[in-house]
Amino acid sequence: MNANPIIRVEHLHKWFDLLHIIKDVSFTVQLREVLVIIGRSGSGKSTLLRCLNFLEEPSAGTISIADKSVTCGVGVRPDRNQILSLRLSTGMVFQEFNLFPHMTVIENVIEGLVTVKKLNKAEAITLGEQYLGKVGLLEKRDEHPIRLSGGQKQRVAIARALAMQPSVMLFDEPTSALDPELIGEVLDVMKQLAYEGTTMLVVTHEMGFARDVADRIMHVDHGEIIEEGTPEQIFDEPKDIRTKTFLEPLRKVQHL
Amino acid sequence: MSVETAPPLGADFTDPDMAMGLQFIAQERRIRLAHMFQVGLVWLVLVVIFSFALLLMNIDPAYIVDHIDFVLKGVWVTIGVSLASIIIASVLALFGALGRLSGNPIADGISGFYVSVIRGTPLLIQIYIIYLGLPQIGRQLQIAGFQQLGSVFTLSAIQSGILALSLNYGAYMTEIFRAGIQSISHGQREAAAAIGMTRWQMMRRVILPQAVRVIIPDIGNQFIAMQKDSALVSVMGIWEITYRANRLARQESKFMEMFLLAAALYFILTIISTFFQSRLERRLAHAYER
Repeated sequence: MNANPIIRVEHLHKWFDLLHIIKDVSFTVQLREVLVIIGRSGSGKSTLLRCLNFLEEPSAGTISIADKSVTCGVGVRPDRNQILSLRLSTGMVFQEFNLFPHMTVIENVIEGLVTVKKLNKAEAITLGEQYLGKVGLLEKRDEHPIRLSGGQKQRVAIARALAMQPSVMLFDEPTSALDPELIGEVLDVMKQLAYEGTTMLVVTHEMGFARDVADRIMHVDHGEIIEEGTPEQIFDEPKDIRTKTFLEPLRKVQHL
Repeated sequence: MSVETAPPLGADFTDPDMAMGLQFIAQERRIRLAHMFQVGLVWLVLVVIFSFALLLMNIDPAYIVDHIDFVLKGVWVTIGVSLASIIIASVLALFGALGRLSGNPIADGISGFYVSVIRGTPLLIQIYIIYLGLPQIGRQLQIAGFQQLGSVFTLSAIQSGILALSLNYGAYMTEIFRAGIQSISHGQREAAAAIGMTRWQMMRRVILPQAVRVIIPDIGNQFIAMQKDSALVSVMGIWEITYRANRLARQESKFMEMFLLAAALYFILTIISTFFQSRLERRLAHAYER
């Protein structure tokens, strides 16, 4: 493996009041790597992901993405500009899509380009259409999100994140709010991104996707990484008993 | 509540299943109509009772008819004062709400203080302080040699009225604006933050455009309430509805005649405003469905 990771997380801690949600987590992600984070609900896996772009401010630790690095701790408050520039290195896709309902599809996709990156509108639209095409929704460019299915909304959300041309893409349970018949179209887009070499961190319960697409899988429980490895290692020969018991009931349902 | 009379489009009377459905629709319609009819009847009875009572009181309708033009001219003043005040109040409320939510202790402190002082004191006292109290400060300043600054504190009746209503409603509306802004889901903020927006960009591009749709019907309600509260500015001799009615009432002791007329004018204003307000509300309810 390359010695120069694109993401480096060092000694990350997160407390919610007196609850220690993330306990001294450190890991790295290589360029073009697809890292899937699995774990039961409440294990801290979403919080871990959200700490990377400071949607949750870490209580302590250092987050480095591309050439940006931010450190938190008691008495160490990161300044706003550091956080903003870190966020520009990440694209995020949410469970609930969070499209802007008052904007059309194309307006959603170009919003960051125009408002944050200060591109002129024509340039932004060219770029936006390119990414809308990539997720197969160019013909919906002038619709409002309310007219789209859940799967279409999530694909627009992916295009919105991609348009900012981040170094890494973060997916926070991107298919958990979707009806089962709509999950496939979103996973297909994500697979395509993975094959193109996008660096991706994916929190998901879709074990089939994890097995097919992940380069590495990380099992998080009680705020700690308890096991990580290739999909084969995790699914076929899990070493930790907790990984075994977590995966066992999923095997039958998801045909692993 | 609207009562439709035509059967729904695509109704097929020969289909027994649909025929059954149509019977239920008709039944619900009958119940709704009967209710509306009964409510209307109650209104009618009340109007008759009040009219009868007025006749017994020896009201002089001719006095009303003779002076209706004079009082009617006040309607425009009432509307003008209310309109100017609701606009300024909205601006104050926007800044007040942004201050409360800014996380900046100075802005939060200033708008919190503003809201609690205004809400804790009567509008009438606020009017007196602005119209009669402020010029005292102005005179002190002028004595101290600040001629220009001193004259700013002496406001005309109209200016004082608009300022008092604006400050007063601005405080109450700060809470409305704040609630409207907070009603926008947290996910919207997160999505804006995730693409690297600053707090101000988020507010301007994502939160406020959505919050405005929530707030506008409430601004309408406040405007309707303000039309009536603006009667208080008559104490400064502004020639709006109440002042004009009061003046004529005192001339010949025709109090009931003139104040009933004023009441009727406010009532009509309210009905008209409510009509437009509910139309606006219905249009905003179908937001984003272009």
